[in-house]
Order: sequence, then structure tokens, then C-alpha cells
Amino acid sequence: MQVSIKWLHDYIDFTETAEELADKLTMAGIPVENVIRADEGLEKVVTGKVENIVPHPDSDHMFITTMNVGGAEPVQIVTGAQNVHQDDIVPVAMVGAKLPTGQKISKGKLRGVPSNGMLCSADELKLDTTNMTEDQLNGIYILPKDTPVGVAVTEVLGLDDVVLEFELTANRGDCFSVFGLIREVAILTGNEPKWPEIKVNEDDAAKAADMIKIGIEAHDLCSRFSGRVLKNVKIGPSPKWMQQRLDGAGIRAINNVVDVTNFVMVELGQPMHAYDYDAIAGHSLVARKAVAGENLHTLDDSQRLAKGTELVIADAEKAAGLAGVMGGLETEVTEKTTTIVLEAACFNGPSIRRTSRGCGLHSEASGRFERGTDVTGTIRALDRAAQLLQDMGACTVTQGVVDVYPTTKEPVHVKFTPEQINNRLGTDLPAEKMIDILEKLYFKVSEAGNGVYSVEVPSWRNDVTFMEDLSEEIARIYGFDNIHSTTPRGNVTQGGQKPAQMFEDRLKLTLSHMGLSEEVSFSFTNPDIFDKMEIPQESNLRKAIPIMNPLTDEFPLVRTTLLGSILENAVRNLSRKNEDIKIFDVAPVFYPKALPLTELPREVVKVAGFMTGRRNPVGWSNDSDMIDFYDAKGIVEDLLEILSIKRYQVEAGEYTAMHPGKTALFKKGKEVIAAVGELHPKVAENFGITKKAYIFEMDLLTLMKYKSEKTKTEALPKYPGICRDLAMLVDENVSAAEIERTIAQNGGEYFTDVTLFDVYQGKQVAAGKKSMAFNIQFQSNDKTLTDADADQGFKQILEAVKKEFDAELRG
Amino acid sequence: MEEKIEQLRQEAAQAVKQAVSSLGDLNDIRVKYLGKKGELTSILRGMGQLSKEDRPRIGQIVNEARQQLEQLIAEKNEELREKELQKRLANEKIDVTLPGRRAPRGHIHPLTMTLMEIKNIFMKMGFTVEVGPEIEKEYYNFEALNLPKDHPARDMQDSFYINEDILMRSQTSPVQARTMEAHEPNSPIRMIAPGRVYRRDDYDATHSPMFTQIEGMVIDKGISLADLKGTLENFLKQIFNDKVKVRFRPSFFPFTEPSAEVDISCVMCQGKGCRVCKGTGWLEILGSGMIHPNVLRMSGYDPEKVSGFAFGLGVERIAMLRYGIEDLRLFYDNDLRFLKQFW
Repeated sequence: MQVSIKWLHDYIDFTETAEELADKLTMAGIPVENVIRADEGLEKVVTGKVENIVPHPDSDHMFITTMNVGGAEPVQIVTGAQNVHQDDIVPVAMVGAKLPTGQKISKGKLRGVPSNGMLCSADELKLDTTNMTEDQLNGIYILPKDTPVGVAVTEVLGLDDVVLEFELTANRGDCFSVFGLIREVAILTGNEPKWPEIKVNEDDAAKAADMIKIGIEAHDLCSRFSGRVLKNVKIGPSPKWMQQRLDGAGIRAINNVVDVTNFVMVELGQPMHAYDYDAIAGHSLVARKAVAGENLHTLDDSQRLAKGTELVIADAEKAAGLAGVMGGLETEVTEKTTTIVLEAACFNGPSIRRTSRGCGLHSEASGRFERGTDVTGTIRALDRAAQLLQDMGACTVTQGVVDVYPTTKEPVHVKFTPEQINNRLGTDLPAEKMIDILEKLYFKVSEAGNGVYSVEVPSWRNDVTFMEDLSEEIARIYGFDNIHSTTPRGNVTQGGQKPAQMFEDRLKLTLSHMGLSEEVSFSFTNPDIFDKMEIPQESNLRKAIPIMNPLTDEFPLVRTTLLGSILENAVRNLSRKNEDIKIFDVAPVFYPKALPLTELPREVVKVAGFMTGRRNPVGWSNDSDMIDFYDAKGIVEDLLEILSIKRYQVEAGEYTAMHPGKTALFKKGKEVIAAVGELHPKVAENFGITKKAYIFEMDLLTLMKYKSEKTKTEALPKYPGICRDLAMLVDENVSAAEIERTIAQNGGEYFTDVTLFDVYQGKQVAAGKKSMAFNIQFQSNDKTLTDADADQGFKQILEAVKKEFDAELRG
Repeated sequence: MEEKIEQLRQEAAQAVKQAVSSLGDLNDIRVKYLGKKGELTSILRGMGQLSKEDRPRIGQIVNEARQQLEQLIAEKNEELREKELQKRLANEKIDVTLPGRRAPRGHIHPLTMTLMEIKNIFMKMGFTVEVGPEIEKEYYNFEALNLPKDHPARDMQDSFYINEDILMRSQTSPVQARTMEAHEPNSPIRMIAPGRVYRRDDYDATHSPMFTQIEGMVIDKGISLADLKGTLENFLKQIFNDKVKVRFRPSFFPFTEPSAEVDISCVMCQGKGCRVCKGTGWLEILGSGMIHPNVLRMSGYDPEKVSGFAFGLGVERIAMLRYGIEDLRLFYDNDLRFLKQFW
């Protein structure tokens, strides 16, 4: 919706500038998006008459003009234009002008000849060129001969108007009209509107009801259908003032009949349509549902096939238009039209919206119907249109209206008490103030006893049905800014997060402290990812939920794996030469219980990580070793420790997208709580990752389930302990975890801890063997251990590892 | 004898004063005069040969000389140590401008950072943090929020649907209804619900098919629009700064009545008007309003007994303004060069 200030001024006086008015309206819930000044950049452009024109002595295409711009002295201007002649009147940009194109006009010389301004083309002034002739478009804009000289070009061209562009909220359909806006301007400026007198003189003896039949079949989609018949119609241009008003509203002038229907639509908010009476088969119009497959030949000369849900206006033979969206071509008003039927109706908003969206046709009319029009206003609109055409001498008006209005709309009544309103707003407004505001908005207020007021809602305010709606009217006019801020009273509430959320935040902070950066990825995915990740065909991970209406083919599914997302992000970083990557992601994946979905899926929050590149930041004193499996595993171990998850087993195993020989599964019993491994070489290849990379994945709630609740600290040992080192040669397939377990099980009563501190395979070690060295600690809480105490446990350990692993002890 | 002592004293003092350049030299001097076989020591040792009358006098003179010498040596010793220390310190100088050795560092995503701060502000005001499913029933996403079937915001074109009844939530507001349902009817609630939401918007500098929203709600006896203003002003001043101006504009949302759009004075130009605020000096920052009686009723609350306000805001928008980010896609692009600029 846009409207010019001049149109508003037609019906109300106010002294506010356009910007001030825009601000008042915006702060009252009628948002003005833009204040458009057509005269922007034209301040120093005046009309000038060419007194003299001679060729430039040093140029074969320039001319030197002497221009009369209304001042005492003529002005010399050099121009390169070829279409300017003596006595032409043209726009002249004076020195100091800054044109809409951004060009600044200053004193200058062109090939040695002083020039004090510029003759302008329509383009240079950014004028609306739609109605200009070829001559006016090519070269300098030549103004009519009778144009006064030395006046502002804005005045001559009617560009001194200002347009307000609104971005109205969906509930305020009533403000999609000049009348609606005037009501708001009136209460906000405190001025009285001067409503135009709408009066029609039915000067033609013919009776409308005898000429046209009107009917409604689809009562759910059309609540009222009113018509008037105008005879002796003379099609021609509408008056200039009307064209200017329409131009300000962003509507192009077409002819007097169309312009009047548009004018009334903008003025009153009631969309209208004009039919060529003689083209209406059977002289009958019916609002009915389209028949599926029915052909609709609309004004834009396109053939549309009806779905069967649309409302159409049909004559005796066929659909004559998509109701409220676009008229039909056959019944269009043309130069030859002599009798017209004016339609003013009330259509169902949602239905109009579906139709207009369905066929991609958005019009000023459909927009108004979508938001809801005033069902009581159809006759007034017909009268107004007839009056305007009659005033132009463009028609005679037949007797009466044909009005089909099966169910009269009763006014809505809402009750309120001032206390209710004050409680809701946190204000202390007297009842009189509230009543004053409501009455100025044309609500009728009456006392209903016991301090209760009853309010009759004006017919155009379809959005007001509750006391709460009244509170909004009062608040927005009183001013939100005038309401003093308070903070909620009541019992002190204990704020905070749920344990799972705290756990998630803690986990994120921990991972970031360990050198990993957090990424955030879309929950969407596509089936290619499963192939690239080498996920088996039968895997549940492939059972991702399809989106019914995906945006693009890129993301047709909701993801089941977070690793896929993190791999894609890693690849993007690698392609941008970010080669040292340590990233993690914490986000849900979605497992359907069945497909197609019958109930909400399981949403499982996963933690995924990806690491590749150098272990340490590049630096003058850092080594440039690459990350390996044990860095990734260390991250997981540290994380589990910080999150108080203890006593898990680590086993070699297999996991999605991981190298089967380089995958560690962290387990609690049979449950895998974390998996870490090298990225499977095949998966790496599929994603185009050429460096060794490591990934891990965990499940947030599973981790949380095993979080130790222990908060007590262990006392420090009172007595010194004893350390023993144990170095051995074992088969290379024996795992460290197995040996550690054996040590722990056989260490005796004083055993407390074992640490693997060296692993070696190479020259001094026989093929197929590896050397491992452990540090074993013994400790007692009751006494200082003697060598003999430690020896006992150590001896048992030696025997056990020899027996179990055929270990060869080293010196 | 006295002359000899005096001579030794002067000789030694001279030696200490002059000849010494290192602690080792000083020790030699000490040994020469005061050591077991030192010259002054020898005199003391030879005291037995002196007469009884002379002994105390000479003894005193020798002791004085000895003390004097010891003090000189001690002073010299101190002086030399200080010199050597200075020399060492000078020699040990390094280039302190070389970069320090730093542990690998990770970074929290700017959206998470912003979210954590927002959560903290509200938790301090006694709000709980609630969550709900991202794939949601249409009922909770729309119906329970007073959005009837025909409402424009329910257009299938705008949301990602899984089937007729299930969709990817287009807002975090469904958590409102779920939270009310989980409470005793009419019992007080102060909560925020942060989370991912999904809309069928093309991916560009200001839109994304997935983004992060925070919904908030306060319900209690006597909650008013004035409380809404106070709470949100408090929040906005904390998340931006104390000087930020806050303005409430009447607006329209189906789930609130009255509704208010909340603007802050532009944080880029301090309200003077710039490209970011399109010259208006104001930035739209969140939507809010008094909860519509239908919404309360739908979830078993009685609008005659309690009232409440609700608000919703985009975390991306706040993060973009706080960090001067002009393209929303940077958040989901996850380029490490971007991520490393935070925390």
C-alpha cells in the first residue's frame, strides 16, 4: 500500500511533514516503510527557454546555448544534444544542482567555452518515462510550448508530491485504504477529517435489476455481491488530478472506468471490477466455484485451467473472471464499451489467497481481499464510482443497485472494564481516556453497568473481537512509549538449565579448550552422503526422513549422521587451504521409528569430531608432526575424564566411516559410548581428502548417563609408595589394554596404577615383536611400603605376563 | 711489630681494592692473609712469643686489622657478585619478541557464544531454559499458537513438511505450548526456549533454511505490557550495551495481543542513520506481545486468572550486530579463518 500526501490532504488538514507523519503512524502500529520524494535531486532544476543556439566553434557536435531561466541575465550553457532548437523549453540543471543520477553540476568550460549548467534529458532526471513520446525520450526533454519559464521543474511536472509507502500488518486490512489511513491520521494529529460527500444521481430511467441478474452459489466463498449498471459510457482518459492520485498510489492510469474502479478501491478499500455489459452472456453474473479443468481466459490474455477450488464470476456461458484476482478478457471494458456493470463484492480471504498464490497473480484487489474487506461497504463503493464517472460526464446511472447479501453481518460487541485494560497494559488510565480513544476510532462505547463497558466494533475492524484487542487499540494510541517499564513481580523463580543442556555446554567448552573449533551445520542431507561414507545398503542410517517439499535437490532428507556433515565442512575447509583442521559439532540426528513417519522421530544429540594436519600450531619452535590416531583418541580420553566418565573398556572394533584396523570403541559393558578412528581410506577418497584424517563420534545422552556423580575428593597418600618399571617383549598383536588389565589384576593388594611409558618396534627388536615398558605403582594407606611388599606384587605380575603373553622380560 | 701489622693491613686492603677481578682472586687474598697459614693468622699464632704486656695490645691490633680486612673482603665480595650477576643477566638476554609457545586452541562458534550469553542473562532473571523437538507436530507449531488452518503463516510453501501433520518446526514457539502443558494449569512460568528452526527461505546474506531462534515466555498473575517492556529493555541493554535505546512499536502476531515489534538504536551508527539501519537509526531486533487468550486457553491456562508475555528473537541477527557480520552464511560456512576470530 502506498499513498501520496496530497491524497491524504484532500480529506484532512495537518501540519506535520511527511516524515513526522510517517513516524507517528509507525509508532501507532501503521508502519511506514519509506517516505518517497519524487523531487529528490531536482531542487535546482528549472525550466529554461532557448533564446539563442549556435554551433560550438571547436566541436562538430556541440552547441552553445543562451538560456532564459527567469533571471535578469541569461545563462550560457554548452550542450551536446542534437534535438534542441531556438524557443524550446527544457529542464535546466543550474550550477549547484545534484541530479538523481548523482551527477553534480558545476561551472566549467567545454572545449574552451564557459558553461554554467546543463540541459537535461528525462533519463537524467530519472523521470517516469512510461507515458512519454519517442521525441521526448531521445535527447533533451522538450517541454510543452506553454510551460512557464524559470519555475521549478518539479512544479511543472507535478513531482512535488510525497509518497508514503506502508508495510501494513496482516490484521489491518482496513488501512489498505485512504479512508482507513485518514481515520488514523485524524486521531494521531488531533484534526477532523473532511469526508467527501458520496451521493449518486440515478439519472437514467432504466432499472439495473431489469438489466442484470446477480447470484451467489458458493456462499462459503462469497458473502456479498453487489452491482450497478451505468449506461451511455464514454471511455476516455480520466482527469489529471485522478491520474496523479493513482500515480502516487503506484497505479498506472488506463482509462476513466478502470481508473475510477482503482481510485475507489484505494480510497475506500473496496476492490471493484467493471464488466462490458454487452459481452456478458445472458446478462447474468454468478459467483460460483470453478469446475476442475474449466478454461479461464484472464485479462492478461492467458488461458488458465481451473483446479476447481477457485471462486469465479461466471456469466450464462462461462467463467468471466477469477473472482477478486483477475477479470476475464472477454468481458473487459474496451474503447467500444457503452454500458458497464460495476461489481463490488466481499470474497473469502483465504480462498482468494490460495487462488492468487496458486496462479502467481498478485493484484491490488487480491491483496485487499486476502486481508478482509468491509462487507457493509459494497454499496457505498458502487455509489462512489458512479458518482465519480457521472461527475466526469462519462455515463448515466441506472436506477438502483442489485445486491445479493444473504446473511447480514451483525456488529460485533466487546465488553471491557478499565481495570482489565489497565492490568493488561500495566497502566493507570482513567476510563474517560480509554473511551475517548475508542470513540475517535469509531468504536461506539456504552455503559453496561457495574463498571463494565460495551463496545460496538466498526464494521471495517474485522480484527477486533476480544477485550485484549481493545487493550491494543488503547495502548497503541496512548503510545507504547508512555507506558512505564516495570519488571514482573511474584515469587522468585529459580532459573537455570536442564542437566542435559548444562552437560552439552560443558562438553562444547571442554572440546574447545582441547583445541577443537565448533562448527554448526544444517540438519539436512542427501543420499549421496551415505554412498560417500560407504554406509551399507541395509544400514538404518540410510533410513533418513524425506522432506515433502525440499528447497532444492541438494537437501531432500533430514540427517541421520553428524559425521557426514562434519566431513563436508572439513572438505570445504581443505579446499580453501585450511589444512590444519580440528573441528567438532554437537547437534541432533533424526531416527524415524518407521517410514513413512507416523509419529515424531527420535532426536539424538551427537558429538562428532574431525582432525587432520599438524599437531601443533605452525611456529618457530614447534615440531611439525602430523596428528595421528592417538591424538584423536587422547581427545576422547581427556573429554571422558573431564566429563567424569570412568571405568570404561577400550576395544578395537568397527564403526561408520572408520578404518577397520584403526578404530577404538569405548564401551560400558556392551554399550559403545564413543568411537574414534582413522577415516576409512575409501571414504577419504570419496570425499577427496588426501591426507590422513581422524574422526570420532559420541552420543550426548549416553555419555551423560555414565557421568559419575562422585563429588568427594580422595585424601592424599600419607605414606610413600614404590614404583617399579617393567619392560618386556611381546608379540606385536598383543594389545596394550590386555597387558594393562593383566597387570592390574595380578598386582596384589598394594597395586594402585600402571602407566605405559614406552613402545618400540625396530632394529633391536625381533620381527613380529614389540617392546613395551610400564611403570607400576604400589601404595598403602596404612604403612610405608618395604621393597618386599612391592616385590610380592611385582613377582605375581611378572609371572602373569610371562604366562599370558609369553612375554620376554628385558633388563 | 705494629709497623708490620700496619703494613700488612695496608697491603691487604690495597690488594682487595685493586688487584681483584674475580671471586677466585678475592679468595686467594683471603687465604694469603686470613687463611690458616695466612700472614695475619701467623702473627696471631706467634703471639706466644710476645711479652705479656704486649700480647693484649698487639692482639687487639691484629684482630682489628683482621676484622677490617674481613669486612673489606665481604664488601668486595658483594660488589663482585653483583658485577657477575649483571654480567650474567646481560649475557642471558633473549629475543622476547619471538612468539610464545602456545597450546593448540579451539573456538566456540559465535552462535553458541551468543546463545550462551543470552541464556545467562535470562537465567539471572530467573528464567528456565526449555527445549523441544525440532521435528514437530503441526498442532504445536501452529494450532496451539492461535494460527488457524487458513492463516498465511501456515502456508505449506513456507515450511518444510514431512507429512500433513508433521513438519520441521518453523519457530521455537511450540515449546511454549509444550511447557504450559507440562505445568499445573495457571502455575507461573518464566522460560526461554532456544533452538534451531527451519523455513523454506532461499539461502542468502540475510536468510537461511535453518537458523537459531529463542522464544521466551512469562506467565503469572498480573503480568502486564509494562513488565514485557521492562524485561526486554533489561535484556537488550545487557546483550548490547547500557546506552542502547529501546523502542516498542505496535505490531501484529497471531499469538499475542497487544503485539510489539522491538527496535534498538542502531549499534553501528549509534542511531545517526547508516547502511545497516537503512538510514532510520533503528534496528528491528525482536517480536513480542501479551500472550493471546486463545493461546493460554489451548494449553489449559485460564486467561481470566493469569496473563503473560512472550517474545521471539533471532540469534543470528544478534550475533551479526554484535560482531559486525554482514553475511549470515558465514555462520554455516564454518571456515576456520572465521571461526578462529571468536574466543
